[in-house]
Amino acid sequence: MNVGRVTQSMLTDRSLSSLQGSLGRLAEIQEHLSTGRLINRPSDDPSGTASAMRLRASLGAEQQHARNAEDGVGWLNTIDTTLQGVGDQLRRARDLATQGGNGALGQTSLDALAAEIDQLREGLLSAANTTYLGRPVFGGTTAGDAAYSQTAGVVTHVGDGNPVNRTVAAGVTVDVALAGPRAFGADGDNVFDHLAALSQALRAGDAAGVAAGLDALTADSGRVATALADVGARTNRVELAATRAADAELALTNALAEIENADLPRTMVELQMQEVAYQAALGATARVLQPSLLDFLR
Amino acid sequence: MGGTFGSVGTALSALRYHQSVMDVASGNIANVSTAGYSRRRVVGEAVGAPAVPALWSRYEGYGDGVRVGSLDRVVDPLLDARSRREHGAQSYLDTRAAVLSRIETALGEPAGEGVSSALTDFTKAWHDLANAPDSAAARSQVLAAANTVADALSLQRRNVEGEEADLRMSLLADLGEVNALASDLARTNEAISSARLAGTDASTLLDSRDALALRLAELTGGTATANPAGGMDVTVGGVPLVVGKQAGQLGLAGGVNPDGTADGGPVALTVTPPGGAATAVTGLRGEVGATADLLTTTLPGQRAALTTFAQELADAVNAAHQGGYDANGAAGQPLLGVDPAAPGGPLVVLVTDPQQLAASGIGGAANRDGGNASALAAALAGPTASYQRAVTVFGTDVASARRVADNQRTLTSQVDGAREQLAGVSIDEEMVTMMQAQRAYEAAARVMTTLDSVLDTLINRTGVTR
Repeated sequence: MNVGRVTQSMLTDRSLSSLQGSLGRLAEIQEHLSTGRLINRPSDDPSGTASAMRLRASLGAEQQHARNAEDGVGWLNTIDTTLQGVGDQLRRARDLATQGGNGALGQTSLDALAAEIDQLREGLLSAANTTYLGRPVFGGTTAGDAAYSQTAGVVTHVGDGNPVNRTVAAGVTVDVALAGPRAFGADGDNVFDHLAALSQALRAGDAAGVAAGLDALTADSGRVATALADVGARTNRVELAATRAADAELALTNALAEIENADLPRTMVELQMQEVAYQAALGATARVLQPSLLDFLR
Repeated sequence: MGGTFGSVGTALSALRYHQSVMDVASGNIANVSTAGYSRRRVVGEAVGAPAVPALWSRYEGYGDGVRVGSLDRVVDPLLDARSRREHGAQSYLDTRAAVLSRIETALGEPAGEGVSSALTDFTKAWHDLANAPDSAAARSQVLAAANTVADALSLQRRNVEGEEADLRMSLLADLGEVNALASDLARTNEAISSARLAGTDASTLLDSRDALALRLAELTGGTATANPAGGMDVTVGGVPLVVGKQAGQLGLAGGVNPDGTADGGPVALTVTPPGGAATAVTGLRGEVGATADLLTTTLPGQRAALTTFAQELADAVNAAHQGGYDANGAAGQPLLGVDPAAPGGPLVVLVTDPQQLAASGIGGAANRDGGNASALAAALAGPTASYQRAVTVFGTDVASARRVADNQRTLTSQVDGAREQLAGVSIDEEMVTMMQAQRAYEAAARVMTTLDSVLDTLINRTGVTR
C-alpha cells in the first residue's frame, strides 16, 4: 500500500471496510457452523458441489437397491419356505405310495391312503398358490390372484413364466420369482396329475399304477429339490447385493460428509481466530480514530 | 520606497491573506466528512514590483505584502477519470453478482430440496413401482413425484421471471435517475461557466459536477471529459449524453413497457444526444449496463436452459414410458410434456390417471410386470447427470462473477484511497495550517502596532525637545 498522505476519513473508511471484511468472514464461519455444511450453495465450491450431487444421487440409488433387495429377499424366502413344505408333502406322498405298493394292505387301507393322497394334493395346490403381498409367487407376472387353478379335477398353471426382476445394483437384476412348472412340472404332467393318478391307482388296487406313481413322485421331489437349490442360490445373490448396497451407503455417506460437512473442531478454531481478528480490528479502530493534533493543542 | 503608510498596507495585506487562509481551513474542517468534497488550498503570492516596467516612474518599494494568488481545489482529473471508470465496472459486476447469487440460492442445491432431490425421489418412486406394479399407492407415488419434479422446475422458472420483473423495474428507475442526473449536470455546467465569467469561486460547483459525473458513471459506465468552460461532458456508449449546458436522454427503444412489464423483445437502450436523434447504444457498464445484459442474455439464457433440461427429461422419460404398457396392457402414452408458457411449466405432467403409468414391459393384457418401471428408473440417470452438470456450471459462473467483483472492489478501493489521499481533508494538516495562519496574523498585527508606535514617534514626538 503506497500511502503518501493519510487523512482522517481515509482511516475511517479503511477501518470500516476492514471491520466489514472481518464481520463477513465471521458470518461465513457462523453459516458453516449453523448449517453444519461447508457447501451451502453451488458457488461455494463448484467442483465439490458436483461431487456432492453425484454422491447424493448414488446414495439415493443405493438406498433404493437395498429396498429392492429387501423386497426380493421377501419373495425368495416365501418361495423357499413354500418349496420346503412342498418337499415334505411329497415325501409323505411317496411314503404312502410305498406303503400302498408293497401289496400287504387291504382295499380299505388303500382307500384310506388314497384319501390322504387327495388331501396332500389339495395341500400342494394351496402351496402352489402361495402369495407374497397379494401376488402368487409361482404365477410370474400374472394379473390374477392364483398361479394354479383346478377345472374338472385337472390342475393347470394359469400364471405366466415371465421373470419378476428386482434391480439390486446398478444394471444388475435378479429374478425373484419361480415359474410354477419349474417346481411342480409342466401342465399335463405335473405333480397334481401324478397325485391324482396315484390316488386312482390306490383305489383301483392297481399295483403297477402305484409303482409308476411312485416313480413320478420321485422325479417331482427331484425337481423341487433343484428348484430349492436355485432359489437358495438366488437368495444368496440378493442378500449379498443387499449387504453390498448397505456398505456402499455407508461409504457414500462418509464421502459426502467428507466433502460437504464442516469439520466442527476446525470450524470452532477458525471461529475463535476470526473473533480474535475482529476484536483486534475493533481495538485498532478505536485507537486509530481517537487521537488528533487537537488532543495535544492547548 | 513606499510611502509613509506603505508598511501599514503590507501588514494589512498579511492580515487579509491570513484571514482567508483561516477561512479556507475552517471550510475544510467543516467539510471533513462531506462525501465528494475536495480540500481547498490557498496559494499565497508575494506582491512585488509591477510586471511591466514603467519608463518615467520607477517602483522603489520592497514588496507590497501578500495576496491570495489562487484558491486551489486539490484534485487530479486523471485520478477522477480512473475512479469513474472503476466505479462503473464495480457497479456492473456487483449488480450481476447479486442477481446471480439470488438465483443460485433459490436452486436449493446441493443439500436442499431442489430439482436433483426431486429427481432422486422420482427415480425411487419408479423403483418402488417396479417392485409393486399392482399397488395403487406406488402408482400414485410416481405421479406425485413427477409433479414434484415439475414443481421444482417451475419454481426455478418463476424465480428467474421474478428476478427479471424486478430488474425491469429497477432499469426504469435507473433510467429516470440517469436523466435527472444528466440535466442536473448540464445545469451545473452552466453555473460553472457563469461563475468562471464572474470570477467567483466555483469549487463547490466543481465538487457537485464531479459527484454527478461519478454517479452517472456508476449507473451507465459513461465517460466524462472536462470541457474548456470548466463543465463536464458525458458520453454514454459512444453517444454524447451531456454536452455543456445541454442534456440528452437515455431511453428505451424496446424490451420493457413503461409499466415495467416485458414487451417480448430484447432490451434496447438509446441515447438521444442534445439536439440529435435517438441512437442505439450497447455494451454499457454500470447498473444500467448490468441490468440490460442480465435481461437480454443471462436470465433468458437461464430460462432457456431450464426448458432445454425439461425437454431432455421429457424425451428420456417419454421414450422409456412409450416402450412399456400400462395397467391394462395398453401401450404407454407420453408422460411428460414441455410448455414454457404453461403456468406450471416448463415441464407438465400429461398423465393424470395412475393406471396409465406404463410400468409393465409386457403388453397385450393386464399383468404385474415391473420391467419398464425399472427401465424408466434407469433412463432418469442421463437427465440427472446433465442437471448436475448444469448446476455445477452455474455455480462456477456465480463463483467467478463474485470473484471478479471482489477483485474489482480491491481495485476500486485502491483508486478511491489514492483519490482520498490527494483530495481528503486531514484535520492535523488543517490545524497546522490554522496555527501557522494564526501566528502569522498575530505577527502582522504586531507589525501594525510597531508601525503605529513608529508613526506616533514621527507625528507626536518629532521636534519636541522637552
